[in-house]
Amino acid sequence: MKERENVLLKVDNLKKYFPIKGGVFGNKTMKQVKAVDGVSFEVMEGETFGIVGESGCGKSTAGRTILRLLEPTEGSIYFQGKNIAELNPNEMRRLRKDIQIVFQDPFASLNPRMKVRDIIEEPLINFGVSDRREREKRVLEVADQVGLTAAQLSRFPHEFSGGQRQRIGIARALISKPKLIIADEPVSALDVSIQSQVLNLMRDLQKEFGLTYIFISHDLSVVKHFCDRIGVMYLGKMVEIADKNSLYDEPLHPYAEALLSALPSPHPLQMKNRIILKGDVPSPSNPPSGCTFHPRCSSCMDICKTERPSLQVIRDNHAVSCHLYDSPEKLAVAAGELK
Amino acid sequence: MVQKVLEVEELKVGIKDEDGGKIAIVNGINFHLHKGETLGIVGESGCGKSMTSLSLMGLLPAGVERHGGDIRLGNLNFNSFNKKDWRQIRGKKIAMIFQEPMSSLNPVYTVGAQINEMILNHERVSKKEARNRALEMLKLVGIPRPEQVLNEYPHQLSGGMRQRVMIAIALSCNPEVLIADEPTTALDVTIQAQILELMKKIQDQLHMSIVLITHDLGVVAEMCDRVIVMYAGEIVEESLVVDLFDQPSHPYTKGLLASLPDIQEQKEYLSSISGVVPAPGKMPVGCRFAPRCSFAHERCKEVPPLFEMENGSRVKCWLYEDGETEVAAK
Repeated sequence: MKERENVLLKVDNLKKYFPIKGGVFGNKTMKQVKAVDGVSFEVMEGETFGIVGESGCGKSTAGRTILRLLEPTEGSIYFQGKNIAELNPNEMRRLRKDIQIVFQDPFASLNPRMKVRDIIEEPLINFGVSDRREREKRVLEVADQVGLTAAQLSRFPHEFSGGQRQRIGIARALISKPKLIIADEPVSALDVSIQSQVLNLMRDLQKEFGLTYIFISHDLSVVKHFCDRIGVMYLGKMVEIADKNSLYDEPLHPYAEALLSALPSPHPLQMKNRIILKGDVPSPSNPPSGCTFHPRCSSCMDICKTERPSLQVIRDNHAVSCHLYDSPEKLAVAAGELK
Repeated sequence: MVQKVLEVEELKVGIKDEDGGKIAIVNGINFHLHKGETLGIVGESGCGKSMTSLSLMGLLPAGVERHGGDIRLGNLNFNSFNKKDWRQIRGKKIAMIFQEPMSSLNPVYTVGAQINEMILNHERVSKKEARNRALEMLKLVGIPRPEQVLNEYPHQLSGGMRQRVMIAIALSCNPEVLIADEPTTALDVTIQAQILELMKKIQDQLHMSIVLITHDLGVVAEMCDRVIVMYAGEIVEESLVVDLFDQPSHPYTKGLLASLPDIQEQKEYLSSISGVVPAPGKMPVGCRFAPRCSFAHERCKEVPPLFEMENGSRVKCWLYEDGETEVAAK
C-alpha cells in the first residue's frame, strides 16, 4: 500500500460542461452536457490510479481536463501543491513538461507526415532544449528504453504496427521526463498479445523512472492488473474510489457491483451470478435527478430519486457515493466486514 | 451422430497482388458446425476470421476472392451460386450480425422498414403480417416500447438497442445458421452482458446454430461449445471450449491465454508473445507461428498437419507428432 503523504495530484470538484448551442443564430446555450460533474480524487506519487467506466461516463474528458487540453468549467487541480487551473498559458506550457499524455488510438495520434525521430523530438524543442546534439542523444536514449531501434527512427508512422506505434506515443510522452503520465486507453486498440507487451513496458518504465500514472480504461481486467487504486465513474461522477483489491473483492456501489459482474468469466465452467443492468446509460445532457444511477439500480430507495449522494469514506481507502451507506447500521456492516 | 448444418472444406480466400499472383488471407481451412451448437472462431486482427465469415455469406469485399474450397449448408453447395441464389439464402438460411451496429443499419429507413424488408424479401406475407412479425421480433429481442421503436430511425437508439435491432433483423426469417462477427466488441461490458444473455436465450428458443467470431476469450468462455483458434489465415487449434481453457495445446493458444490479465490472480508482469502477426504475402515458410514460438525447432520449417489429440482436440503443431494420431488429410 502506498503512503498517504506524497500527494502528487489532487483534483477537487472538477467540472467540465459542454454547451449545446441552439436558438435562431445558434448562439444561445440551450443545455449543457455535464461530461465531468464534480469529480474529486487524489493521486499519490509513484502509484497507478485507474479510472474506469463505460463509454460516455466522462473518463477521457476528466483526463484531458487535468492536462487542460480542455478548460475546466469549475474546480481546482493541484499538481505538487500548485493549482493548475489558474495558470496562464505560458506557465501551463512549462508545466506540461511534468504531465504528459498517451492517447488511445496510435493510428490517429501520430502525425503521418513526420518521421518517428521528429515526433519523439518535438516536445524537447517545445520545452526549449536548444542543443541539437543533446536532443539527438535523448531521442536515442528514449527510443532504446521503449524498445525501438535507431534504424526505425527514420521511418514514418504508417510503417509500424499498432503496438509499435503505441511505443512511439509512449516515447514521445517520456522524453520530457514527466512525473505524471495520463494514459487514456493506451491498450484498447491493441490485440491481447500486443497489449501485454505494452503493459509490461509501461510497468518497466514506471519502476525505472518512478512514474505516476493515471490509467484510463474501460477494460476491468486490465485495470485490475495494472492499477493500485481505482475510481469508478458513472455519468460524470466518481461513484466509488478504492484500493483495487478492496474494490474487486467487495464493491460497495451497486453500479460497481454490476459492472464487475458483467465481466465475461475467465473459464467456461466458472459461471457467476450476473447482475444484468436494465436499460442504457442515460444521456449526460439530461441526467436523472438525485443519484444519477437510480433508474437502473436494483436497490433504489425514495431518497435516491431526489437527493444526490456524496462520496463518503466507508473504510480504509474505500469511498463510495451511495445512499445505501447513509444509515449507521449499514455503514458498520460494510466497514466491519473488512476489519 | 449430431447433424452437421454447415461444412467448410479447404476454404481459400485471397487477394491478387500486383503481378497477378494470389496472396492467401485464408489458407485452406476446414470446419463444420453442428445443429444447435455455438462455434467460436478466435484470433487476433488479421488472422482471417472476418474474411472466413464473410465468405460464408458471399459478401467478400471487392478485390478479395474465394480461390477454392467447398462451403455446404445442408445439401446446398455455395460454389454453384449466382447472385440470385445468394439473395435467396442470405437472411433465410444463414444470417449475419456485424460488429458496428450503427454502420450496418441504414440511417434513412426506420427500424420497422428494415425488418420488413427482410421478411417481405423472403416470405409471401402481406405488409400487415410483416409488420406484426417485426413487432414480435422486437419483443423477442427485448426492446422496450417496441411499437414506437418500429417507427424510429437507428440514430435515435443506443448502441445496445441497435445491436438488438440487428439481431431482430437477422432472426426475422428464422435462419438455420447465425454468423455473429464481433457482436459485442463495440459495446460496453454491461451492455455486452445483456446482448450475450439475449443471444443464448434466443438460441435455446429457436434451436439455432451460431458461428461466433471474436477476439475476446472471455466471450468465448461464456458462449461457445467448440472453438477454432486461427492464426495467420490457418486453423492452429480446434477443441471443446473446456479443453481449450484447461489444456491449451498449441503454443499460440497457450501464449494468448497467458497474456490475458487474470482478474483473480495478481501478477506483476503479463507473459506476452514476442513479435507481431506476419503480413499476408510475407508468411514464413513452414509453420507460420514458428518465428514467434519459443518451442520452434528444425522440424518447424515444414508445414505441420493437424494432429488429433486424445481428447479429440486437433492441433497444427509438430510438438504433438509423437504418440498422437494424425488426422487424414481429408
